[in-house]
Amino acid sequence: MKSSLFIRPALTAALLLAGSLSLAAAPQGAKGVENFDPLAFPGKVVDDVIVPVPSEVFSVLDKLGEPNWQAELRKQDIPTTSDRTKLSLLFGYTVAEGFVAVQAQDKEAVKDIGHDVISLAKSLGLSKSVLPHAQAILDAADKGNWSSIRKEFDLTQKTVKDTMEQMKDVDLSQCVSLGGWLRGTASVTSVVKKSFSADRAELLNQPMLVEHFVNAISKMPGSTREHDVVKSIQKGLAVVQDQMEGAVDGFTKDAVNQIGKTCDGLLTEILAKK
Amino acid sequence: MKCPRFCSQALTALVALLACATLLHATVDESHDFAMEAATPFVEQGFIVREDYWNGEVKSGQKLMITHQLFKGNEYAFWLGTSQDGVTLDMKVYDEKNQPIQINAKADKNFMSARVNPPKTGTYKIVFELKSKTDPSILWALAYGYR
Repeated sequence: MKSSLFIRPALTAALLLAGSLSLAAAPQGAKGVENFDPLAFPGKVVDDVIVPVPSEVFSVLDKLGEPNWQAELRKQDIPTTSDRTKLSLLFGYTVAEGFVAVQAQDKEAVKDIGHDVISLAKSLGLSKSVLPHAQAILDAADKGNWSSIRKEFDLTQKTVKDTMEQMKDVDLSQCVSLGGWLRGTASVTSVVKKSFSADRAELLNQPMLVEHFVNAISKMPGSTREHDVVKSIQKGLAVVQDQMEGAVDGFTKDAVNQIGKTCDGLLTEILAKK
Repeated sequence: MKCPRFCSQALTALVALLACATLLHATVDESHDFAMEAATPFVEQGFIVREDYWNGEVKSGQKLMITHQLFKGNEYAFWLGTSQDGVTLDMKVYDEKNQPIQINAKADKNFMSARVNPPKTGTYKIVFELKSKTDPSILWALAYGYR
């Protein structure tokens, strides 16, 4: 049956009005207002993943209590090596250690880490781009300007990663992120273990980041993928991934211990002199 | 010595290409500048701005999705900027179960901001869109901060 000329525009107007009313009445973010299916997403997915810096997690831990950040500082010697994969992992580790030092508000530790950053950048052939930031870290440490130091550590890491990517060393850039994430996660598990609560442990729910690293390693060139430490990291990430997937009802103390033990073991390999 | 015609044409093309590349680079950076302009009042409120950010070029009206890790207990702010005028910006955030979460969004001429308090620690999807009535494609930058 054909609708009359009058009914059609009236119907359309009524439908449009109903639609606009429901849109206007729906508070943004209300449940059930909009069904979102990422698998049927009609747009473009941006593949770039930004890995959070450790201080993003540390700031939550600070709100949940007063961790003893000084006790979390490792103050370990950085081994000398010409292995660029290891240097990149060490660079990420060192910057993450810098974030722990900022949290502990330890000027001397920040300065030591600043010098380690300069030395690693030299070994990586990136001192020109890193030196201004490293100098800014040392200057800010003298003044105890913690927000500035945090910003410069973030900038240092970004500069190194960007430079590596410009030089087509995407695998090394990923190693920087990996080293930093492992050190940050080791600190988080250490703090959570000392004062366990479901809220603190929930901070370890990071399956997307682990998956991102697993994928990144699988795309690395054979020489990097077959590197002893990278192979160990790949195995370790599988263990961490299992723990995260198993934490449907929250992380148990055992799961936190397991993640911490895995990260610590991998960091020992990264820091090994060989 | 006179430059042959071919040489002069190639030189003109090269200069034009370089000019375009410089212009493109400048506008991508400008999009980030606008995102940072959006961040300014947030920094005054104690937000820490991350140095890493996403950027690119997108067809007008095409939605973009970014997957990102958020931690419960932090408040986050996302700042979307574009260097092009007359662009409408929109952003939504979805949780792990693909449910929209409450955001406090504000838009201005070349940027918008969205505050997010993640109800859980985990993976979130940030879906955003830039629409222009005049430009077929739009340069954008998305930065974020936390406190």
